[in-house]
Amino acid sequence: MSSRLHTISALVHNESGTLNRLSSMFRRRMFSLASMNAGDCEQDGLSRITMVVHGDDNDLRQCVRQLDKCIDVIEVEDLNSAQSVQRELAFIQVSANVETRRAILDIAQVMHCEVVHLEPESITLQVTAEPSRIDQVVTLLEPIGVTQIVRSGLVAIRVSN
Amino acid sequence: MNQRSGAQIVLESLVRHGVDTIFGYPGGVVLPLYDELLNWPQVRHILVRHEQCAAHMADGYARSTGKVGVCLATSGPGATNLVTGIATAMMDSIPMVALTGNVNSWAIGTDAFQETDIQGITIPITKHNYLVQNVDDLPGVLEEAFYLANSGRKGPVLVDIPKDVFIAKTAASFPDTVGRRGYTPSAPINPLSFGRAAKLLAEAKRPIVIAGAGVIWSNTSEQLRALAEKCDLPVISTLLGLGNIDRNDSRSLGMMGMHGEFTGTKAVQEADLVIGIGMRWDDRLTGKVSGFAPKAKLIHFDIDYSEFSKIVTTEVVVPGDLAESLPEFLAAVEPKKNPEWWSEIRGWQREQPIVIPEGRKFVARHVLDKLNELSDSEAYVSTDVGQHQMWTAQVYKFKRPYQMMTSGGLGTMGFGFPAAMGAAFAHPGKEVWAVVGDGGFQMTLQELQTAVENNLDIKICLINNGFLGMVRQWQELFYDNRYSHVSMGNPDYKKLADAYGVSFFRCSSRDEVENTINLARSTTGPVLCEFLVEMEENVFPMVAAGASNDNIITDPGIGEQSLAEVSK
Repeated sequence: MSSRLHTISALVHNESGTLNRLSSMFRRRMFSLASMNAGDCEQDGLSRITMVVHGDDNDLRQCVRQLDKCIDVIEVEDLNSAQSVQRELAFIQVSANVETRRAILDIAQVMHCEVVHLEPESITLQVTAEPSRIDQVVTLLEPIGVTQIVRSGLVAIRVSN
Repeated sequence: MNQRSGAQIVLESLVRHGVDTIFGYPGGVVLPLYDELLNWPQVRHILVRHEQCAAHMADGYARSTGKVGVCLATSGPGATNLVTGIATAMMDSIPMVALTGNVNSWAIGTDAFQETDIQGITIPITKHNYLVQNVDDLPGVLEEAFYLANSGRKGPVLVDIPKDVFIAKTAASFPDTVGRRGYTPSAPINPLSFGRAAKLLAEAKRPIVIAGAGVIWSNTSEQLRALAEKCDLPVISTLLGLGNIDRNDSRSLGMMGMHGEFTGTKAVQEADLVIGIGMRWDDRLTGKVSGFAPKAKLIHFDIDYSEFSKIVTTEVVVPGDLAESLPEFLAAVEPKKNPEWWSEIRGWQREQPIVIPEGRKFVARHVLDKLNELSDSEAYVSTDVGQHQMWTAQVYKFKRPYQMMTSGGLGTMGFGFPAAMGAAFAHPGKEVWAVVGDGGFQMTLQELQTAVENNLDIKICLINNGFLGMVRQWQELFYDNRYSHVSMGNPDYKKLADAYGVSFFRCSSRDEVENTINLARSTTGPVLCEFLVEMEENVFPMVAAGASNDNIITDPGIGEQSLAEVSK
């Protein structure tokens, strides 16, 4: 079975220890967690967590079942890209000078990045996109000089069955 | 409204859940609870000598009654001392509620005296845990803790309660209903699974059942027996499942696996259908998974969905509580007979029995065989971990559920004695034996004092071979006889027993075994029997760690194969 990234969404009770418990389960059972993103949701006292897990189909099945077994977890689902919208936010800081600034801004425009901060020697861009597109932006900017990258981890929402 | 303190709520919760005995050790932050305890004579508190043993006693109480065991410790070191006992219960899915005190809620996070993050520490070894920060939440949390511990696949639940929460008062009452959104105690049954499983069984020529502790905890021992009878099935019990079918039943084959009986292990390798019921394909049972039951289709009954396909690939999964699924399956199957299969099995049993050696050597099996005979297979028996544990599993003919207490999953040395004490507290007047080795007994023997104080009727069968026997056996077989730190010095157990005021009998030959056991059986209160057995006896059969179950090292005492040939 081939190993790839899977997106898992879980609705959980937001209580003391919940995140600790879930991350502990991943570590303990040696599931490879690429990112985990938790936040409030439409229901009071509950959170929705998006996790990106690296593994084959069996790893994914085990992971979903182990999550489902956690007392804090109310429901858990494996989201594929056809049924969900998936986005990540990234800040990318690039060193800039008079000669490179134009090139950076051109890339930003073409790749739908927003300039969130501008200084004489740096530009900070924000990009909200699918992770592969963020990777692409980074690749384009790297030759110019990326000084800092901050990525939020993926969030995903189910939009159809 | 009637205002009650947190401490009163804890005691009231215990009484609500029928807890008559708890095992604990006091300390600074649980003072308010220990003070309140004096007002509740209906809750017996057993003062242990080390918190680990409070957890093991609660565990033994649970394993011998089917009820939730409760232990109690103070913050910091008191709480961390529970950890081994909680982990033991977790690995074997034992219903337990562990109560710990913590420092005042406003001091949590300041590295206060005797503060520890026991919630964080026990996350991986509890079914669930709580830190109660407000006394108003306490009744609900305690209700939920008992519910979670004792429903579905059971397990330990820890409730950490800061000192000020014991003292604070609340009008909050216990909820009328308990439940938790998103928690389904057992996997729902799948009505289609019974027909599918029944079809496989109808087609099978060499079917076999491996039944685990799930049968015990779901009280479906009778359904298991009925199934075996209706379909003429051989039944293997896992280590934790011993007692789920009467070992004297002609269809019981005892334990299989690393040190299981040859017949069971061999039969699974030859079977065309293996039905796992309330068990989890532990590595000590399967051996090398790729070589396990190579000719068989597998059916797996379990309450916990996450056990399906975790280790082995199954043809049919039968989810659900066995109390629901086994009767359905029993109704779905057609009666059948498997005479040819049975004649092969009987042949293996004749060729490779568990032997009680003749001759001059005095070995643990002589003791256990005699213990089995004299107690009429009726005693509650706990074991520690190691050679004596395997010999007990092989030789003692457990008759019924909740009769054996052994740490199967975690393999906790020091478990046997306190676990048997838990059983003895639960079953006054009943015969309770702790079978322990000299290694494990030295880990928790301070509880002799607890046994003496309570004049507890408990017999300790100390198998003393002066070694960490199982580790020594592996060093002999797999490390070229290089013994590294396995020779155990022992105290003079007679003097030790005298110091504690415990009755003592020593036995150093086969001829004295019967008399020694009889003396112990007719003595009330705690009894320590020391059996000085052969130092370098090995447990057979054996499947080496990581080897396939095809490579059974048989007892050189009976088999044709020499050790050298098969241990490759």
